[in-house]
Amino acid sequence: MSLFVHYLSLPYLIEGIWFTVAVTALGLAGGLILGLVLAAMQLSRFAVLAALARGYTVIFRGTPLILQMVFAYDALPQIGLKLSAIGAAGLALAANEAPFIAEMLRAGVLGVDGGQVLAGQALGMTPSLLMRRIIAPQAIRTMIPAFGNETVSALKNSSLASVISVQELTLRSTQLASSTFDFFSIFFASGLIYLVLTSLVSVIQLFVERALDLDRVTPQGRLSIFLPWRRVDLQTKLAEPAALLPPPHSLLPEMTAPRPTSRSDRAKHAAMVQRNNVAVEVTGLRKSYGAQTVLNGVDLTVRVGEVVALLGPSGSGKSTLLRCINHLENWDSGMVRVGGRRLGHSDDGRKLSPRAIANERASVGVGMVFQQFNLFSHLTARENVAGPLRWVHGLTRTDADRRARELLERVGLSHRADALPRHLSGGQQQRVAIARALAPNPSVLLLDEPTSALDPELVNEVLEVIRRLAVDDGLTMIISTHQIRFADEVADRVAFLSGGSIIEQGPAHEILSNPQHPATARFLSVMEADKAPESTS
Amino acid sequence: MHRQSSTEARARHSAVISGLRSAALATFLLATIWAPTSASAAAPAGCAALQTKYPQFKGKQLVNAINPHTPGYEAIDPKDPNKYVGFDIDLGEAIGECLGFTLTYKPVTFAALLTTLASGQADIVISDIYATEERAKAADFITYSKVFDGVLVAKGNPKKITGINISMCGAAAAENTGYVEVPLVQALAPECKKEGKPEPTLQLYDNNANCIQAILAGRADTYVNDVNTVDQAVKANPDKLEKAIAVTIPYSVGIAVPKDKPDFRDAVMAALIEVQKAGTHKALLAKWELDPNNFKEPDILSVK
Repeated sequence: MSLFVHYLSLPYLIEGIWFTVAVTALGLAGGLILGLVLAAMQLSRFAVLAALARGYTVIFRGTPLILQMVFAYDALPQIGLKLSAIGAAGLALAANEAPFIAEMLRAGVLGVDGGQVLAGQALGMTPSLLMRRIIAPQAIRTMIPAFGNETVSALKNSSLASVISVQELTLRSTQLASSTFDFFSIFFASGLIYLVLTSLVSVIQLFVERALDLDRVTPQGRLSIFLPWRRVDLQTKLAEPAALLPPPHSLLPEMTAPRPTSRSDRAKHAAMVQRNNVAVEVTGLRKSYGAQTVLNGVDLTVRVGEVVALLGPSGSGKSTLLRCINHLENWDSGMVRVGGRRLGHSDDGRKLSPRAIANERASVGVGMVFQQFNLFSHLTARENVAGPLRWVHGLTRTDADRRARELLERVGLSHRADALPRHLSGGQQQRVAIARALAPNPSVLLLDEPTSALDPELVNEVLEVIRRLAVDDGLTMIISTHQIRFADEVADRVAFLSGGSIIEQGPAHEILSNPQHPATARFLSVMEADKAPESTS
Repeated sequence: MHRQSSTEARARHSAVISGLRSAALATFLLATIWAPTSASAAAPAGCAALQTKYPQFKGKQLVNAINPHTPGYEAIDPKDPNKYVGFDIDLGEAIGECLGFTLTYKPVTFAALLTTLASGQADIVISDIYATEERAKAADFITYSKVFDGVLVAKGNPKKITGINISMCGAAAAENTGYVEVPLVQALAPECKKEGKPEPTLQLYDNNANCIQAILAGRADTYVNDVNTVDQAVKANPDKLEKAIAVTIPYSVGIAVPKDKPDFRDAVMAALIEVQKAGTHKALLAKWELDPNNFKEPDILSVK
């Protein structure tokens, strides 16, 4: 026992920690840099880069670290690269860690909900902006436990540097054991030192997780994570804000009653917008995924201030059409013009890069609302609206926050500005998503089945918000929906899609109450049961 | 492997006597020789001439790769673990002093000694390594010591092992990777077969301490290594280990230098001759309680 204490406090062993930590730090830092490069190569659009990264991974993940250490130490000098022992060990460890770290990074990035990426693109974010503001912050949070693991494993792997004469703990322990024959006291002592080091890593990991925890309420709570009974109550804590909420409808007193607009007013409005300028013009749009044709020559013109409802069975091409109008998807042939500007090609007719397409989206001004809301889940409601304004449109924080406040108030959610999306109901999330889409003042708002993912009792609060945008604000909108009654109330015109083309379109009430095309009639009669259009007033 | 050293090819009780004798001798020699050596006045004339002949090594700091797991030859100093001590360390420094260079140490596994030298990570290897034809393909050797091995067994020698012979059939031998004893034990297989006995098995470790632990833990029956190392192990665990016998091994211990530096090889050889002439070599054997019979005039082993 006294020998054990003697070796535990022996400066010779304690100083060995420095070498252990130095090799580990070099390995992790180098591995992180190399891992970032590898992950970027694997995720890149260019197949050659991905293949190179794959090849590297196969080699360095598939050979033992001890061989890589000896290689870095003894073989590299043959080509004139003579690193110090620590340098060689750090290099080998970095080269070995890189594929593992790259896989962690890749999993983290791929783990971020694709809908959020789509939403970011729709808001005009460039790929690098998306990575920095949306993907990385979420991916990093999910990667911390894995990174903690990797750190502990690198720390232990650093002991292999003993074979290339790095004076780290293991080497010092074996040398000491050889000269003193106190085998067990020495190895228990160095084992305990390793244990202390790895425990430190775990503590740091917990602190970082805690610091990045989006649900953390108060700074005082920081230490409570170490108390086991505090953790149990996280679920309760999450449930609280939801429970405190008044039912959504009570928040929207002014919205509960649909604004009565007479049929004749509606018809007048429809006639009026027909004289307006063209906002969106789609001609001969074709697109197919492999053998399956999704859009088969769509022509659609939407004028400023007009509300057009896209109807049709699932798979008829409604969503694809909307995504093409925002250039979230490419098309095979045909043309899309928004505000007179032709999308998707530079002035010299070449295809645009993803970055150029993002800038095009931001400047053309097409807002988009998704069926699954696609809010940025690491940002509060306010930041979901204000963030893109700052990042894409260069507003100051003050201006962006003011704009976000106004819009959240407009959708009846100013009291929930600081809530995270996961603490909002589906209807509230969709209202935030609408506020976010409206924030840059788009010239056209595209809504892709905005109520389809909602519980029935939440549908109305969202429809009310959309109705007001149409009626009060005169916003130009294209809505794909299954809500026939809503389409009848709000839309100037409906277009019925089937098999990738528009088979019938015209004034909303006329088409809905008296469809000419048999497919339209069939579809309407199926929806009829609970969503019949109201009869002419 | 290695080392081997020294000493005594005799049985254990005679080792004690020789130890006593060595101690007396050491006291005497230390008084007469060690003092002048450390005053760097040893063999002044010869060394001064060498420094004139080989000025390129003067004032240099060279790297000596060692496998510091052999107390008596090279191991860290238990009293100050930042230092390496032992016969080889002192001999290397005496040679360095003669040629005017100093040494730093790079601890590597035994099997990595020559690789480290060949890759240029070290300039010289003085680590109780046996000069064999096979190894001489990787480095040139200047031999300086005869080899005597001891056979380490558990107390009472339960397997009745009497050397590297058919008494080892069926036994488990612990050895260090890369040591010359490994092929010697392997060569027993056909003999054992002829006798109708099982072959000996080999357990390969990467340092002395692990080999000794293998016997203490009952995993191995024997460990054949430099007799001095074996004696040290017995001294540390007198209740559990004993030396069955000492045997002669047909090798010499050598200093390894890179094959592409004949100047350096010749300078080291010349310096070693001066060190021996001055009596330093024998004084160091006494200082580290090694058998004076180990002493050997240097030769060069170099194969193309």
